[in-house]
Amino acid sequence: MKEKKQILSAQEQLKQQEFQQEAVAHINSLYNYALHLTMNPDDAEDLVQETYLKAYKFFSSFERGTNCKAWLFKILKNNYINKFRKNAREPGKVDYDLIKDFYHTIKDVQSDTTEAESDFFHSLLHEEVYQALQSLPEEFREVIQLCDIEGFTYEEIANMVESPIGTVRSRLYRGRKLLREKLEDYARKHGYNTEAGE
Amino acid sequence: MNCNKAMVLMSAAIDGELTPKEEEELALHLAECTACRAEFQDAKKTKIIIRERMVRVKAPRTLVESIVKLTTVTT
Repeated sequence: MKEKKQILSAQEQLKQQEFQQEAVAHINSLYNYALHLTMNPDDAEDLVQETYLKAYKFFSSFERGTNCKAWLFKILKNNYINKFRKNAREPGKVDYDLIKDFYHTIKDVQSDTTEAESDFFHSLLHEEVYQALQSLPEEFREVIQLCDIEGFTYEEIANMVESPIGTVRSRLYRGRKLLREKLEDYARKHGYNTEAGE
Repeated sequence: MNCNKAMVLMSAAIDGELTPKEEEELALHLAECTACRAEFQDAKKTKIIIRERMVRVKAPRTLVESIVKLTTVTT
C-alpha cells in the first residue's frame, strides 16, 4: 500500500512538471484574453485562476501533441460563459474608461512586446485600436482577437467558439471590414496608407 | 470569381487559410482587378495594425505565483 502511494506521488509530480511546462507557459496570453472578456483586472485574475485549477484537474484529458494554449482558451471561455454570462454581464457594454485606466497604469512597466518604449505609436495608438476593436459586436471581436492577436488557426478558433470553420472565416471577414472602417482615419493619420500593390 | 467572393477569400488569404484551389482563384482575380488588389493591401494593413498596436500585458506576479502554488503537489 505504501509502495502504491509512492508511485502515485511520482506520477503526480510528473503531471505537475508537465503542466507547468505546457500550461503555465501560456499564462500571459490567458490573462490578456480574460481581460478582454471581462474588462476587469480582478475578474480576469479570478477567471485565469479558475481556468488553471480546472485545467490541472482535467490535465489527463488534454490530448498530448495538440495545442495546449487552445485547450486552455477553450476552458477559459467556458468558465467565462458559466460565470459571467449567467449574471447578464455584457463586457462589450462596459465603459471603456474602466479598463483604459488600467492599461494606462501598466502599459509602460508591463508591456509584453519587444517595441522600444520610445515608440510613439506604441504608447499612443493602442487606445484607438483597442477602442475600435471593443466597439465591434462580440462575435466579430472574438474571432479577430483569437486569430490576429493570439495566432490560432481557423480550426482551433472554430473549436473554441463552437462554430463551423466557414462561420469563423465569414466573421473574420465581416469583423475586419467593420474594424477597417473605424481605423481608416487613424491609419491615414499615422502613415499606414502605403500605395496598394507595392 | 466576382469581387464579393474575392473579398471574403482575401481575409482568409492573409491568415494562410485558403485551399490551393482558392489561392489560385484569388490570384487570378487579383491579377485582373485593380480595386481588389488595393482592397487586399488594406486587409493586410488591418491585420498588421491589430497585431502591432494591441498592448499585451504580463499577468501579475501574484497570479503567476498563486497558480504555480495551486498546481504544486506537496509530497
